[in-house]
Amino acid sequence: MSTTQQTPGPVPTLDISQTAPVPFSRLVRVEWRKMLDTRGGLWLMIATAILLVITVGLVLLVVALNDDPIEIGAAGFSQILTIPLSLLLPVFPILSVTSEWGQRTGLVTFTLEPNRVRVLLAKVASVVLLAMATIVVALVLGALGNVVAAAMDGTDVVWDLDLRTLVLTIVLQLLYFLMAFGIGTVFLSSPASIAVFYVVALLLPLLVYSTLYAIFDWAQDIIPWIDLQYAMGPLLDPDDDATTMDGLRVVVTVLIWIVTPLVIGTRRVLASEPK
Amino acid sequence: MISVEGLTKRYGAFTAVDDVSFVAQPGRVTGFLGPNGAGKTTTMRIMVGLTPETQGRVTIGGHLYRDIPNPGLHVGVLLDASAQHAGRTGREILTLGATTMGLPSSRVDEMLELVSLSPAESRRRLRNYSLGMRQRLGIAHALLGDPSVLILDEPANGLDPAGIRWMRGLLRGYAERGGTVLLSSHLLHEVEQIADEMILIGRGKIVAQGDKKSLLDHGQAASSLVTSLDNQKLAAALSAKQYSVAVAGDGLRVGAEPVEVGRTALEQGIVLSDLRSGAAGLEDLFLELTSDTQREGHPAAATQQGAIA
Repeated sequence: MSTTQQTPGPVPTLDISQTAPVPFSRLVRVEWRKMLDTRGGLWLMIATAILLVITVGLVLLVVALNDDPIEIGAAGFSQILTIPLSLLLPVFPILSVTSEWGQRTGLVTFTLEPNRVRVLLAKVASVVLLAMATIVVALVLGALGNVVAAAMDGTDVVWDLDLRTLVLTIVLQLLYFLMAFGIGTVFLSSPASIAVFYVVALLLPLLVYSTLYAIFDWAQDIIPWIDLQYAMGPLLDPDDDATTMDGLRVVVTVLIWIVTPLVIGTRRVLASEPK
Repeated sequence: MISVEGLTKRYGAFTAVDDVSFVAQPGRVTGFLGPNGAGKTTTMRIMVGLTPETQGRVTIGGHLYRDIPNPGLHVGVLLDASAQHAGRTGREILTLGATTMGLPSSRVDEMLELVSLSPAESRRRLRNYSLGMRQRLGIAHALLGDPSVLILDEPANGLDPAGIRWMRGLLRGYAERGGTVLLSSHLLHEVEQIADEMILIGRGKIVAQGDKKSLLDHGQAASSLVTSLDNQKLAAALSAKQYSVAVAGDGLRVGAEPVEVGRTALEQGIVLSDLRSGAAGLEDLFLELTSDTQREGHPAAATQQGAIA
């Protein structure tokens, strides 16, 4: 089949010298906005807020109903309030990645910023910001609860939360966010990522590891090497002198659940053809 | 402005795009035409870096797409109007694009107005949009950054006739102001009316390219359809000039240019009531050129063409 050849003249060039790349801060702002601008995101946020308030309320109720003064203290509150934070919020880092494929927004996202590593980093940054923001909210709520609880019992307010525990609690929270993010990049599918994350981060430690840990000696040796929560345990306990071995366990679990998924997942994201 | 050079994309043994080369010039609308699965979308996805090429390359204004900073300001892209978060409102989708590109939110309102999405419609979520509304929103998104190059995959899909006419006017005006437009379609009549230049692709290969006239002139025997008050006399006169004549409906099909038929009628003093080119249309040409790549074989086009020649 012969074709009619056009005569291609000199192809005009596009002047890009005056155009700056999209600043990273703007990418972060967009990714932040994308986490919260859907009905799903909004309701996840509302549900988390409700969980936080209910948790504080329940603790105060227990304090009120108990005749003897219960000393919860700031440390107690901070420990309790990590639960509502870790329940729903990890869905945000997962969806931040997977919705680009599931909702197919990646077509637009990666066309407006072809450097996918930058997009991923902006997502990580916005996810970390979200984690920090919710932790601040929880701390404020916990402090309020602490004051109210002490007032109800007529005791002095106990501010027993030491800095190390606070920092480590925040670090653990962030590690779970990064783990959720990494799992999202590996599967690039919302249902699969959410299921895997909750099995690994919540169901196994809560139902399986706790039982094994209580019954078998070998489980006490193995589980801290494969579960983040168990590995972090000795470090989080202010009365426990953490050993080098404890630190090593944290490193290993971080390698398994955060570094490995992130490496595999980043490669997947770079190679993927968003359809 | 868009230059595709020896582009090839293979998925295992399957070749989706096979050594495709063409140029889309500024100030012109280039239509990228082919049946479903011919490789149009893959070519366009490679252009904007969503799919890596196996061989060859695409440059836009001399640059690889990934080297263009803030590409939304230079290249407007619409690959799939439904590829947006179903839970976001139309306005929110444009706002996200405008924010990424660093544009003021007033630009969002301008674009909504340009594509005739009302404020109430812009506050609805995408899942409640008809395909036509999604298409308008997608065009608005592509135009946000006031780019000089537009790459649109099947933009007319889902638009009603008025919408198609609107889009035609929009893109024509855009090209007349110096913009480069590349748009794909599997429907010839959509492209035929708007494109200055057409690229016909079938099974990953370019089968023909050029403007409408050069495509039609390409390898076709002259042919006219004529009806007169005295067909018999006209037929005899034309036959005497060694032109082939056949009865076609109420008139005649003649193997000559319309101007020759008119001259003969004038010489003979015959009143013509209808005279037009009987050359096969672009559609026939399109089907013929891509016939071996069509899903349903389309012998009609080829045989019709053969019968008159």
